[in-house]
Amino acid sequence: MEKTLQVLNVLERDGVLSRYAIGGAMGATFYAEPVLTFDLDIFVILPQTADGLPLEPLYAALRARGYTEDGECVTIEGIPVQFLPAYNDLLVEALAEARETVYEQTPTRVLRAEHLAAIAVQTGRDKDRQRVRLLLEQASLDDNYLATVLARHGLKARWKEWTT
Amino acid sequence: MERMDNLRPEIERLIVAKNQRRRKLAALSFADKVRVVVRMQQMVAPVLRARGRPVRVWALDNSDPVGHK
Repeated sequence: MEKTLQVLNVLERDGVLSRYAIGGAMGATFYAEPVLTFDLDIFVILPQTADGLPLEPLYAALRARGYTEDGECVTIEGIPVQFLPAYNDLLVEALAEARETVYEQTPTRVLRAEHLAAIAVQTGRDKDRQRVRLLLEQASLDDNYLATVLARHGLKARWKEWTT
Repeated sequence: MERMDNLRPEIERLIVAKNQRRRKLAALSFADKVRVVVRMQQMVAPVLRARGRPVRVWALDNSDPVGHK
């Protein structure tokens, strides 16, 4: 995975993507016990495009480096990566406040646990409920920070419903 | 057959041990957790493929198993 992250860092350095952070199951795994997944979910802020296809320049840059699309993922150095553009205010905030970390020797970013929980509540699938439960149990959430995020994005009612 | 009341302490011990293992896994480094995820992928992939779901097991740069770095 280190080489995959190095490719993402190069894409960010070159301006192909403005900012990225690990989310999804692998983001949750950063804070809790390992969760089975076959995709590496990467949330991205992308430069504006005129044609309304924000992912296309990113895919083109990856194709130029020899990484091909496979369904909704691009396989980068042996790992299927799913790029998820920040399509709402919660995701933009989550990316802006993502946690800087190092994987082996390579710098990277992971969404904050509180944002992973809020995104799960917003997404609302069964597996998101499980993720919230896991993060509550194992991730040392900052309760005040989480409450602010949930309130700001209108998620307090569903959070209460899911956690009481 | 053993009564359920007699089994309860043993089951409680199993649940405690299981929770301890989960906490231990949660405390691993990120890189070691990723290795565990790949182990799980290796175990599950044949079952999923047999059910017709094509999955790719991740190729890690350093494939040393957990605890054998």
